[in-house]
Amino acid sequence: MEADKKPFLAVEELNVRYRDNHVLEDISFEIERGQFVCVIGPNGGGKSTLLKSLVGLVQIHSGTIRKAAQKIGYVPQQLRIDAAVPLRVDEFLSLKLSTDRVWFGLRGTRQKVRKKLEEIGAGHLIDRQIGKLSGGEFQRILIAYALLDDPELLLLDEPMTGLDVRGGLSFDGLLHHLHEHAGITILMVSHDLHLVEHVSDQVLCINRTVHCHGSPDYVLQPDNLSKAYGHLPGLVSGEGNEAFIPLGRLK
Amino acid sequence: MWEILQTPQLERAFLIAIIAGPMMALLGTFITLRGMAFFSDAISHAALTGVGLGVALRLTNDVYGTGMQFVLIVFCCLVALTMAWLFERTSLRADTVIAFSYSGAVALGVILISQMKGYQSLEGVLFGEILFASDLDVWIILGLSVVVLVFLLSNLRALLLCVVQEDLARIAGVNIRRLNYLFVLLIALVVALLLQQLGALLISGLIVIPAAASRVVSTSFRQMLIMAAVFGLFAGIIGIATSAQFDLPTGPTIVLANVAFLVAAMMLGAILGRAKSGRVNTSPLDRV
Repeated sequence: MEADKKPFLAVEELNVRYRDNHVLEDISFEIERGQFVCVIGPNGGGKSTLLKSLVGLVQIHSGTIRKAAQKIGYVPQQLRIDAAVPLRVDEFLSLKLSTDRVWFGLRGTRQKVRKKLEEIGAGHLIDRQIGKLSGGEFQRILIAYALLDDPELLLLDEPMTGLDVRGGLSFDGLLHHLHEHAGITILMVSHDLHLVEHVSDQVLCINRTVHCHGSPDYVLQPDNLSKAYGHLPGLVSGEGNEAFIPLGRLK
Repeated sequence: MWEILQTPQLERAFLIAIIAGPMMALLGTFITLRGMAFFSDAISHAALTGVGLGVALRLTNDVYGTGMQFVLIVFCCLVALTMAWLFERTSLRADTVIAFSYSGAVALGVILISQMKGYQSLEGVLFGEILFASDLDVWIILGLSVVVLVFLLSNLRALLLCVVQEDLARIAGVNIRRLNYLFVLLIALVVALLLQQLGALLISGLIVIPAAASRVVSTSFRQMLIMAAVFGLFAGIIGIATSAQFDLPTGPTIVLANVAFLVAAMMLGAILGRAKSGRVNTSPLDRV
């Protein structure tokens, strides 16, 4: 276990382009095992693209991604799906467990699915249809899906979008559990600067390039934020923590 | 009524219904979940142009023969690939692509067909003549059903993941582009090979209606698959028996039997839904 040569996750000079559009430019950062890292930045700034490039969903133009993390769980940004889809939660989650192309058996997998759901406080959802879940419930199911093969690194793309205050609070608890008790390294895109300040070890502020990178205390200073988001009178020009709350609710 | 079963034509019709009914219903389950119900409709209507072309270019003389089947396979596959390519390459919405492919192909087909001598023979292409099926047709349809079932079973996981979230499918190693093209080719093949028996105007109903009926009463995907196959099977058998008994056109009677199942399923669904309405919200607006 001594001194891994490979960093847990290291991104160097990462560039992603969609045709002529330079979405990410020279992004470099490193994550250590056990950290909770948040990615913030304005809409269209490339946050989602960054996560997607880490799991191979977008093509990298140049740069390298080195990782010791073998298994990466990815939770896409999606609020809900078509109510016409009849899949039950256990059927959906068993799609992750079956390695064969032929999938039909639920028997062996249902126990495992139930255990994972209970672990994240969603055991009661096992027999529901995924098309009939609320946004917050569906988010939990997507997280359960990502967690099923016990990843070392979890990528979350704005998991709090669409959750009300109560949903948001219990979600805090879930994140805390995953990070502190399950020991999963987390990289999360979020607009909720209040939450970011609260949970993260490291914050990455991205708007095409890395604008700012470091501890939450440092990155979340109004000066640094206004560099990335542009000057927002009355929102960021204020003092200290007050600035975070309205920004988080802007979207 | 059982003596009518004795005629070889009816025997073959029942065989086709028993084989193709559940197969089309299972395929229809995936077609409806992917929101492609009108896609199969467009291909079956475009197939009219295939019939017209086959005759106009003197590729075949017989609207019902094996030669025509061959023309239809090639034509339907080409139409399907073109539409799939347009979905992928243009910024047009899928329903727009389907609408212009559909009406363009029907227009061309009608013009070609109006130039044909044996105009009246077309009724069979529009509404199907399952009683004209030969032994060879039954074998072809059996082979087709095996191909469809093998494809669906071996791609079940990939197809379902695509329905839920395409990124999750990609991460699981699904080649979505290849899957989409294979899927539309499969639809084209089913339409082309069953068109003469089931009719251009009716065939997509037979694909979509059992799946819709099954969705209304199902609470899981597995249930939806099983119920769709059951509806497809029994609607086919009941449709053929009814049409033979009362001397009605066979294809339309099968479609009506399917519609009857759908109506019954919706009523049952409403009753079941009301019984547990405390838990199930049907309006999207309720689910925030």
